[in-house]
Amino acid sequence: MPTILDATSRPLRIIVSFVVGCGLFFGGVCGASAQGAIDGRILFQQKCSTCHTIGGGDRSGPDLWGSMERHSQDWLIRWITRPDLMIAERDPIAIELLEQFKGFAMENVGLTEADARAVIDHVRAETATTAPASATQAPPGGYPTPPFGGVQLAAWAVFLIFAGAIALVFGWVWLSTRNPQDVDVKRAYAVRRTFFFVVASLLLVVLGATLQDTPYAEADTKADRIVYVAARQFDFVYSLEPIVSTGDLANVLVVKRLELPAGATVEFRGTSLDVNHGFGLYGPTRQLLAQTQAMPGYVNRLRVRLDEPGQYYVFCLEYCATGHHLMQSRLVVK
Amino acid sequence: MRKANTHTLYWIGITLVLFPILVVLGIYMRTVQFGQLPATQSWFYPMMTLHGLGMVGVCYAASMACAVDALRRYIEPSGAISWLALAGTVAGVVLLLVSVFLGKFAAGWYFLYPLPMRGNWPAWSTVMFLSAITVLGATWLIWSVDMLRAIARRYSLSEALGWHYLAGRTEPEVPPLVLITTVSLIACVACLVAGVIALALSFADVLGGVRSDALLMKNLTFFFGHVLVNLSMYLGLAVTYEVLPEYAGRPWKANKIVALSWNTVLVVFLAAYFHHLYMDFVQPVVVQYIGQVASYISSIPAAVVTLFGALMLVYRSKMRWNLASILLFVGLAGWAIGGGGAGIDSTILVNMKFHNTLWVPAHFHTYMLMGLMLLVTGYFYHCCQAATELPEKPSFHNLVILLLMVGGYGMLFMFYLSGAASIPRRFAVYPAELAHGAGYAGLGALFAALFLVGLIVFFVEIGKRWIRAFRVAV
Repeated sequence: MPTILDATSRPLRIIVSFVVGCGLFFGGVCGASAQGAIDGRILFQQKCSTCHTIGGGDRSGPDLWGSMERHSQDWLIRWITRPDLMIAERDPIAIELLEQFKGFAMENVGLTEADARAVIDHVRAETATTAPASATQAPPGGYPTPPFGGVQLAAWAVFLIFAGAIALVFGWVWLSTRNPQDVDVKRAYAVRRTFFFVVASLLLVVLGATLQDTPYAEADTKADRIVYVAARQFDFVYSLEPIVSTGDLANVLVVKRLELPAGATVEFRGTSLDVNHGFGLYGPTRQLLAQTQAMPGYVNRLRVRLDEPGQYYVFCLEYCATGHHLMQSRLVVK
Repeated sequence: MRKANTHTLYWIGITLVLFPILVVLGIYMRTVQFGQLPATQSWFYPMMTLHGLGMVGVCYAASMACAVDALRRYIEPSGAISWLALAGTVAGVVLLLVSVFLGKFAAGWYFLYPLPMRGNWPAWSTVMFLSAITVLGATWLIWSVDMLRAIARRYSLSEALGWHYLAGRTEPEVPPLVLITTVSLIACVACLVAGVIALALSFADVLGGVRSDALLMKNLTFFFGHVLVNLSMYLGLAVTYEVLPEYAGRPWKANKIVALSWNTVLVVFLAAYFHHLYMDFVQPVVVQYIGQVASYISSIPAAVVTLFGALMLVYRSKMRWNLASILLFVGLAGWAIGGGGAGIDSTILVNMKFHNTLWVPAHFHTYMLMGLMLLVTGYFYHCCQAATELPEKPSFHNLVILLLMVGGYGMLFMFYLSGAASIPRRFAVYPAELAHGAGYAGLGALFAALFLVGLIVFFVEIGKRWIRAFRVAV
């Protein structure tokens, strides 16, 4: 988990990091170590993938694709096992990384030297078999501004009409005070009665029209695919097998590049491994298609039909701490 | 000339200091989202937390101060409790500032469990933050209970809630101010009790490691936040019922319809909080539907009774327009427009596309900033002007209103546009795919700066009245 450096609280941070590290150690590493040889893949999933990818682009920490070749083995081992110490010593590379990632510092997560070697081996092996991030980076000149459409456009239009009507009525009443005269109260009450029936009828019609079409009503439909999503600070993990706790990450096959068939109804079963997150699914036009919350201890089922082929984007839509805006992933519909 | 109450003057002073500072924090956040001030980016989320909680606190305390001041015509609040409310609020704010500025605490204003305990800030800042909320919550709970006590000394509960109007009687005459404040304070006690439970469970986690259920905590948190924000709005409306007739030269009295309307509000708006949890699909489906139905129903008394009543009061009246009456009038318009934005978002089908996008801050800034805060500042100006009777300059006041309207609604337009374009809220930096959000943020910051200029000009105008009133009162 990234940390913001703060000189005034550094001793406390070290204590907290130690405690967190111990917790993670007993919660995660023990499980891996008990099986014998240290598995760099599992360690990476549990300790590093929150902030780093291997070929998937930068998060709150750098993309590690090819990074093991840019530094010496000794430097890497020390950086992985004692990042807090190296930052305190003002190691030039550590400080450069700190500035590059705007104060998000590498945290000491309690890895040993043997763990660090296993992680380095894993990153090297993945670098050899994985394409770099360039394939998924923004196009030159950036993305064009997406068009409005669907529910968003309709809601926007309704709001503008409503706000305009309110402004007109208030303006009209304001101007009316230039010619003061007594108001016929009985007539005003009659107008109010009509106004009440109009407003109530309108709301009833909208209620009737929209309550039939909520995400909950789709619970009885059949999903073509089920994808398990585990959200955690600041990462989404996908699997075709259930994930309900951090321990499951070591036992399930994590899907690195999620591809789904066009036209399929997909059920995303989302949970969280730490705090509340939001699973916000954006379509190829980068407009929000559907969302659900990812909560610790609960599984929310979001069904969505993915008709349009192309790149889909997932952003966290519930504030989850200072790396919130970095929490995103992608999936492809073919 | 009417001597101003000392406590009210203190509250006005606190609001005049805190409110523009919090507006500056808002401008800072939009500026960072625009891609500027990158060196300060790590302060975005702590400032977001301070801005959010600070604004909610200022809105509540200021609207409560207005209601208490207006109620002094009818009841006698305890002087000791009034001082306690001031001291407790200041103490809570100090704890909050320490937590955010020294600890970089950044769990957001509603500190959704278990985030305060799982963020990248020191544990002591979490304890400090929770202590700040505890002090504020306890202080405000005592303040609310004392006001209910003071109301109960003059009116029975059924009278204060206007039930005799529902039974067809017109005596005793109960001002709408008393009725609406009673409704708001009952809701306030309920929400603060929910807040206390959420706080106790949070303390149990941070100090004792006792985990709580995330869904239960979410319900408690949103019930607390939703009710606190709405009742602040209602307190602002309560004083509008009391003051606007003075400018219109017409009465605005309680009757059967007004009583029915506000009793409906009391029942319905408590249940409307479910609309904050539409995207938690594990909630029972029936409460999701209740959320939408309750949200829709709560708009009927607001639109049909309060707004229609206010417009009827002003229509073709011999209205005396000054800064106070204009701010109250345009504040009602802001409340209505923001309510429309909220109503749209309370539709489950729409919420699926708008939840936690910038549409949310768009609508709550509309009814809080361009609604409630204009009502509150209008009332404060009314108090200071009544206490000093300094000559007023209409052209100068028109300039203030113009700056506030263009700046405020320009900023809000950028929020709404961003929400409709699916830009998430609470992103310090927009990813490349949503980079268009940065442009809206930049324009929003410019408009907000214009609003701030209007606010400063207004504060100069009210400030000289406040100083003079303060000298007379103290």
